[in-house]
Amino acid sequence: MKTKSIDRIFLVLKYLVLCSFTALCLYPILWLVINSFKTNQELFADPWGLSPNFSVRNYIDAFVEGNIGTYFFNSAFIAVCVLAVGVTLSSMASYAISRMKWKLSKVTLNVFLLGMMVPTYAIVIPLFSTFNFLQILNTHLAVIIAQVAGCFPMAIFILTGFFSIIPKDIEEAAIMDGCGMLRMFFRIIMPISKSSIVTVAVITFLATWNDLLLPQIFLSDQPKMTLPVGLMACQGQYTTNFVGMIAAVLVTIIPTVIIYIFLHKNIMEGMVAGAVKG
Amino acid sequence: MNKVMGNKKYIALFVLPAFLIYLCFLLVPIIYNIVISMYSTNLMSPGTFVGFRNYVNLFTQDSTFVQALGNNVLMVIGSLIAHMPLALLFANILFNKIKGGSFFQTVFFLPCVICGVAIGLMWTFMYNSQFGLVNKLLSLIGLGRFSQDWLANPNTAIFAIIVVVMWQYVGYHMIIQLAAMKNIPRSLYEAAAIDGASKWRQFCSITLPLIKNVLRIDAVLIITGSLKYYDLIAVMTGGGPNHATELLSTYMYYQGFRTLKYGYSAAIGMILLILCVLSLVLSNMVFKSEDVQY
Repeated sequence: MKTKSIDRIFLVLKYLVLCSFTALCLYPILWLVINSFKTNQELFADPWGLSPNFSVRNYIDAFVEGNIGTYFFNSAFIAVCVLAVGVTLSSMASYAISRMKWKLSKVTLNVFLLGMMVPTYAIVIPLFSTFNFLQILNTHLAVIIAQVAGCFPMAIFILTGFFSIIPKDIEEAAIMDGCGMLRMFFRIIMPISKSSIVTVAVITFLATWNDLLLPQIFLSDQPKMTLPVGLMACQGQYTTNFVGMIAAVLVTIIPTVIIYIFLHKNIMEGMVAGAVKG
Repeated sequence: MNKVMGNKKYIALFVLPAFLIYLCFLLVPIIYNIVISMYSTNLMSPGTFVGFRNYVNLFTQDSTFVQALGNNVLMVIGSLIAHMPLALLFANILFNKIKGGSFFQTVFFLPCVICGVAIGLMWTFMYNSQFGLVNKLLSLIGLGRFSQDWLANPNTAIFAIIVVVMWQYVGYHMIIQLAAMKNIPRSLYEAAAIDGASKWRQFCSITLPLIKNVLRIDAVLIITGSLKYYDLIAVMTGGGPNHATELLSTYMYYQGFRTLKYGYSAAIGMILLILCVLSLVLSNMVFKSEDVQY
């Protein structure tokens, strides 16, 4: 009887801990949503409650004056390009490393995995100088190349792990039927690996979408900037229009939250893969 | 079968595109970075070779660099506190089946997938001295005398940022630790319960030793992760006020792209790389012990 009531108390304590951290995670976002519909005066007068005059003025400001639409498009364009090129090339390389028979496959894998330890800071100056030499500074291509190269270690780590457990029979059957290597890879291997490819795709997308450093260094023209860089530029320009900034921040967050709601299993799996398997 | 899977043409076709991009834009730049770090250059005109002078100057003449290094150490300590005991507490609560567990996991993990710049701006609003919730909450619980402009005060700014880092990544490390706990066979706990071991005893004698290996990797992730934070600082304080919140990463950006001392900046980049590798090697040495198995 006594242990039961102690268990009760512990259970209540546990929920107290969990619920308070849930509030700490979600309330700031909710606060942004509430205040994005206010005017600056209303925000200063009362940062807690809802505004009686609901208006989407701030969102219009963010798009018209803050150019958030342009930044949004640039971010999406870069992220989709990185995702398409990065995922295709890394899955091809992973397939060759884990399934094809050649002597240097282990070494190649280790060389790729070495990249996981390299912080971007150790390569930005050389990349800046190289892209300057190639005359592609201040183009989206520069950011795309750097991001693609950076996504390989993690992507190849996850994909080689998955490809190595595909049963041999599938390949044997395909080859017996006279299926060529390219067709087998794109028509059979890629479709059956859909879940890990989605995992790699979504973490590559998020990493590119969220990154500040590379686009900040490589893109200097305002119309070419991505959302994170654009937000920083807005912050410098409109120092007093807080509600407009709040709306712009929400525009940046919303795609991530939507993707997260649908794919949170894949995202978690992909982001912790390195730690748990390593 | 072997003929097809060993076909050199296909192997080259599959591996080379990725490998060449990786080689040219990730591996070679590291070596190039070592070279640049030994020059005094602005990349436009040919620089002068200075050997290890950049490195020596960093440690002997640059008080801002030393301050940034100190801030990085603070960041590592703060992250270790939040991401080891606190994340372990959350993970352990969720590990013992509890209603709504997967909902809590999903919510706790959310902050670490959101763009750092957006998170930074969000917390800049929270810390704002006029309408920020932090000051409002303080005065609500009667501690109004502590309210201040957190990010503008050189004494509080770095701690204000560390709190955000703690908040943002607790869920991430919790999920890593939870995944490790789920690999432990349930039968061990059942046997322990029959023998009358308390929950605390079970945690100390079963959970902790069995997830030690993952904790070691997690510690490396926490340390290298704290060395790499950039966007939060860049957006919340820009390294200010007066370099009080500078980290190695933001200081590297400042030296490279604000004052255009590329060689000097490359040297800071090298130090970051060395610290990342060092933390991995050291943790391997410190935690070196055979895997525990029952």
